[in-house]
Amino acid sequence: MTATERTALALVWILAAASALFLMAPLVVTVAVSFGSSAVFTLPPPSWSTRWYERLWTSRDLWPAVWTSLRVAVLATALALVLGTLCAIAVVRGRFPGREALVTFLISPLMLPGLVVGIAMLQGFRAAGLRDVGLSLLIAHGVITLPYVVRTVVAALSLFDFTLIDAARTLGLSYPAAVLRVLVPGLAPAFLTSGLFAFLASMDNYPISIFFTDAWTKTLPIQMLQLVEERPDPTVAAVSTLLILLAVAVLILGDRLVGLRRLAEV
Amino acid sequence: MPAPTPSAPTPPASAPSDPGFLTIVGAEKRFGASTVLGGVDLAVAGGEFVSLLGPSGCGKTTLLRIVAGLVAADRGRVVLDGRDVTRTPPHRRDVGVVFQNYALFPHLTVAENVAFGLKAKGHPRAEIPAVVARFLDLVQMAPFADRRAQALSGGQQQRVAVARALAVRPKLLLLDEPFSALDRKLREAMQIDLKRLLRELGITALFVTHDQDEALTMSDRIAVMNRGAIEQLADPVTLYRRPATAFALGFVGLSSRLHGTVREEGDGVLRVETALGTVRAPGRFRPGSPVLLGVRPERIRIGADGPNAIEATLVEVAFQGARAHLFFAGPDGERALLAEAPEIPAGARPGARLRLSWAIEDTLVFPAEPAQRDAA
Amino acid sequence: MSAPAAPLTGRVPARRSLSVRPDPVALLALPAFAYLAAAYGWPLLVLLGRSLSGPQGISLTPLAQFLSDPFSWRVIGNTVRTALLVTLVCLLAGYPAAVALARARGAVQGLLLLSVILPLSVGVVVKAYAWQIVLRRDGVVSGLLVGLGIWDAPQRLLFTETGLVIGAANVFLPFMILPIYAVIRQIDPRLAEAAATLGASPLRRFLGVTLPLTLPGIVSGIAFVFSLAVSMYVVPSLVIGDRFQTLATLTGRAFLFMRDEQLGSTTAVLLLAVAVAVVVGSTALARRLGGGGQS
Repeated sequence: MTATERTALALVWILAAASALFLMAPLVVTVAVSFGSSAVFTLPPPSWSTRWYERLWTSRDLWPAVWTSLRVAVLATALALVLGTLCAIAVVRGRFPGREALVTFLISPLMLPGLVVGIAMLQGFRAAGLRDVGLSLLIAHGVITLPYVVRTVVAALSLFDFTLIDAARTLGLSYPAAVLRVLVPGLAPAFLTSGLFAFLASMDNYPISIFFTDAWTKTLPIQMLQLVEERPDPTVAAVSTLLILLAVAVLILGDRLVGLRRLAEV
Repeated sequence: MPAPTPSAPTPPASAPSDPGFLTIVGAEKRFGASTVLGGVDLAVAGGEFVSLLGPSGCGKTTLLRIVAGLVAADRGRVVLDGRDVTRTPPHRRDVGVVFQNYALFPHLTVAENVAFGLKAKGHPRAEIPAVVARFLDLVQMAPFADRRAQALSGGQQQRVAVARALAVRPKLLLLDEPFSALDRKLREAMQIDLKRLLRELGITALFVTHDQDEALTMSDRIAVMNRGAIEQLADPVTLYRRPATAFALGFVGLSSRLHGTVREEGDGVLRVETALGTVRAPGRFRPGSPVLLGVRPERIRIGADGPNAIEATLVEVAFQGARAHLFFAGPDGERALLAEAPEIPAGARPGARLRLSWAIEDTLVFPAEPAQRDAA
Repeated sequence: MSAPAAPLTGRVPARRSLSVRPDPVALLALPAFAYLAAAYGWPLLVLLGRSLSGPQGISLTPLAQFLSDPFSWRVIGNTVRTALLVTLVCLLAGYPAAVALARARGAVQGLLLLSVILPLSVGVVVKAYAWQIVLRRDGVVSGLLVGLGIWDAPQRLLFTETGLVIGAANVFLPFMILPIYAVIRQIDPRLAEAAATLGASPLRRFLGVTLPLTLPGIVSGIAFVFSLAVSMYVVPSLVIGDRFQTLATLTGRAFLFMRDEQLGSTTAVLLLAVAVAVVVGSTALARRLGGGGQS
């Protein structure tokens, strides 16, 4: 290796390390601020405390938003898993024209600006006479969670060996039992990872939720942004830290199920 | 010897037990516009090993899947051990299948794979480990019981697949090209092992393959399939010596082929005019009929005189150790004629004109195929 | 003696099925398709229609009106300028990171991968909030720069365009790193070695072999980051505020505060057009460059 190459390589590693620190910086700052005693975000904090978590615990604004977000995320993920899996089976096993176009259509909500998708749905729902905030939120979140499920389950199903079902049938299982005992365990990692990431996407969504909330029903990101604008103290940092923990938990599960490297295949 | 009619169930000459243990009557299957099986009849005796031999797309795998119950025939019946199973789903048929890719469950260990069918069929729980151990032992896979199926080599996976299919004591074992993914040496060793195992257990087996050597080595009888029909059902020796159709002649074993026209017929002996001279053959054809003549290479004597004798130009000599193959130019191509000799005869150099002769009864005669059959 | 069997021709009449039956498995796609078509496809078409229709049917008047206003052009300028800057920063920071990620092994690779995927899994509100803290006059960046002697006195980056670009680049950087990483991972390292044995200098090797091969990944990364940066809403809201308008923030404001749906629809369709153009264009370009690009 020549001196030029060594220098170039060293530069690559330094830049990569800097990028990694840069990427992690907001998370580290958030966690540090949430455990600081100061209300004015001095870093490093003068002393450590859990007072923002105590304040969060008694907060009257955040908990309703947390419950709204959890409820919407769970229901939207369940909806997406059912509809997405059925659709993935049709795409992988069916013989009909336009399957690729169908997948592109189902994934497209992730490729278009969230704000535009949100506005379109807002106007569409209004035209259809849909007034219920909770239902509107759920339907809108279904649209943005479905792509995660379709993408992952289609990929997993195309790799699944369907002779395994034949084998189970000749070994004494009825067709439904064979699907349950062979196909479902085979797809379990895909269900779980896509479900987890769909859940995260719903929990964190801002640009679509903003159009479907009112004074009484707010999702967590909406409420957080409002708090930041109204009363900037580290309580929001405490909630953020909990959300970071949630992401860490999802990644640990995902790593166990399919490995971090597979997760990187966005 | 009576000609075996290809579409009628032919019971084996000496049936060891129920000659119709597995009986398939008029099995027919279409996929869209194409006919995959056009009314196939087949009877397999108890304990018999029957191969379905044919090129890809001949319908052999579809027939196997119909017997397994994985595909429903459009028409026809399947009777197994006296019970009509035509409408029985696969899990109630008592049929074991070894799949081409083995289809071992990747999320289970070797032992769990073998136990899968026992559990599914409600075998008494306490006895399952013993049964699993016995069958893993039979295929010499006992040391691998706790491995994941994916961690095994192809040959090991195949053994596990056989053990898994046999552990539930099926009435019939179906094998779908189980050796095709193995290299040649391993394949030959495993063919012998499997045949011995099935004979010891007295299992009736239907075996799908496109490999004629495999079929000849393993089978009690072979059904040669072509375009959704059985062309001939016979034991390996008869199939080789007396192929019933030109297709069977071409698909099983090597042969020389000559086209000709029947000139006269008398006493069951034909005089056929070919581009290399007149050849006599046993058979009954109207004079003027176009025919195809076939001779097996080991039946041709080089440099000797006989009732059928022609002169041909030697093109190439292929020495194969125990024997030599001599290729001669014929009217239909550079290497249309093939003779086999224990050793290379003196003066056998490419370009030499040599005399070839064979017995009248060694000439096989078939009606000449129409130029093009409609592709079904 | 073997007598010839009956000729076998014509035994199997091929019958053509007259009706093409639809595959019943296809019906399983119906619920998802119907759902998405009703909740998303149809509204998107309505939005498109609304932006292209005036009081007298189809017209480009709203669009022309919008484009005739100098304020609009300032907004478009803001949008494109920041998106380009963000994309540039992401490319410069992301390429070395992707190279390092592909070269790293074991725990180092795991850590690098984690530093990309974990921020990606955390919501944008959390990260934008953190940048609001970091970019203050008394924040970390200002302190760091003063400490390093680059700045003489603490400065505020919050509510500046520089701050916006830094924050947005941070949020979108993973979308640059991952596509490039995916392509580099598939490049045969022997190609660079072959180039070396042919006498190519390191720089030539990079420009002549590595860079062209990673081009599909770069194209996807640029497309991802640019289309995300054009339509970002949360980051500008928190990091720069109302004085600085982009197409996306204007769209949001038009609907949420100004109640001017005609304006909002027009800007939304402009955003949509940019996004579709970028996705379609980059997919075609990545495919022409030899595939490997993700869309």
